[in-house]
Amino acid sequence: MDRLRLAVIDADSGFVRVLNKRMAAMGWEYRTLASPVPAEQLIAMRLNCLVVDLELLGPNAWSYLERVCEQIPGLGVIVATPRSTVAQRVRGLRLGADDWIGKPCHPEEVIARVEAVVRRRRRAHGETDRKPIVAGELEIRGDQFQAYVGGQSLDLTRREFELLHLLSGTPGQVLPREEIYQRVWGYAMAHGDRSVDVFVRKLRQKLETASPGWSYIHTHFGIGYRFEPEGEAAEMVASPAAPAPVEEAEDIAARV
Amino acid sequence: MKFRRPVRDERLLELLEEAGRNASRATALLTEMLADFPERAELARDILLREQEGDRIAHDVIYRIARAPRRATLDSRDVYDLIRALDDVVDHTEEAADSLGLYGIEAPMEQAQQLADLLARSAVAVEHALEQLHDGHEMNGELVQIHELENEGDRVSREAIASLFATGIDPMVVIRWKDVFESLEQGIDSCETVAHVLEGISIKVAG
Repeated sequence: MDRLRLAVIDADSGFVRVLNKRMAAMGWEYRTLASPVPAEQLIAMRLNCLVVDLELLGPNAWSYLERVCEQIPGLGVIVATPRSTVAQRVRGLRLGADDWIGKPCHPEEVIARVEAVVRRRRRAHGETDRKPIVAGELEIRGDQFQAYVGGQSLDLTRREFELLHLLSGTPGQVLPREEIYQRVWGYAMAHGDRSVDVFVRKLRQKLETASPGWSYIHTHFGIGYRFEPEGEAAEMVASPAAPAPVEEAEDIAARV
Repeated sequence: MKFRRPVRDERLLELLEEAGRNASRATALLTEMLADFPERAELARDILLREQEGDRIAHDVIYRIARAPRRATLDSRDVYDLIRALDDVVDHTEEAADSLGLYGIEAPMEQAQQLADLLARSAVAVEHALEQLHDGHEMNGELVQIHELENEGDRVSREAIASLFATGIDPMVVIRWKDVFESLEQGIDSCETVAHVLEGISIKVAG
């Protein structure tokens, strides 16, 4: 397993101290936070997993949990909290938590549950990545960190690929520049930073060269960018020359 | 008692004008480079050539004032301060351009583009002021403009640096851009130093 990145939001000093020792021994990168931080900062930390004591969050606990799970869908969230009812545990899991541990608990159990959550998420992510995204003439392959048009690689850099992967993962949705930066660069965007615009420009140039009849990334001035393949002629999508969706291609291959 | 008229060193004034043009050209190149960065990153090389040219002019000026007659129209100390400040404008411009490549900066920041624009406008005002000096004309308009641009530069620079210290910014971004912003601000400050020296010269000439 790669080096895990974890944050623990908990003010129980004894529990945190023992857990920290275990995490250090595991070689994980971890941060202990005695109070909740905004979801934007958690995004910037590029975490695999968050362990949070809801009791620490007071009356805002549920809204915080919901916001974190909604805004960071790739983050594994484990609630480790004392004195919970069945209704609370059900609510937490339905809001998006991956696991719920009642305190007091053994740090070794927390470690094992973190590993389990991360393993499940990586497996799911791997499966998603293995399934290419097909949009217009474009085939985006997460397993190869590359995009292709008619089998020809676009020669995307890692950053360009991550940008394309992010945008194409939310087709038709306008993503603000700040959110794109946070998700691709892993930090908050400094005011005035033009990185997103520059990389979108580079990406567009490569897309236009490889797929001249199509427009994929659309600008929303003052906001951000939207991914939506628009061909010069809509019939291109249905034409035999256009690449068949992967599921269909696989079905055909299986029949042959 | 017989008074002798001060000697006007035409070549020295031409060299100062040349230094002004050189500073103006270097800063214009930086504006161009930042407006379309990283596509125009190769302009750093042209800016470096401007910096070397600036050194050559400064050397020529210093050589000339070392041999200036006692009755020269311009005080040697003033000319020395002037050419040093002009050289600093180009040095800081080159430093900013060099940092962009050295730090592997991937994309510009709007505040850097604004500061580069202010620096270029200041350098144009400096260039015009030096032409006025050569022609013996009033240069107050240009000097006022340089001070105004410096005030604007201070404001933009402060805001730019403050924006780097917002929560969650990549520390590498902070390190890289803080240096670039500072070089740009120092370039603008050097234009103001030129203006200060020119003010002193114009007072002496009028007196």
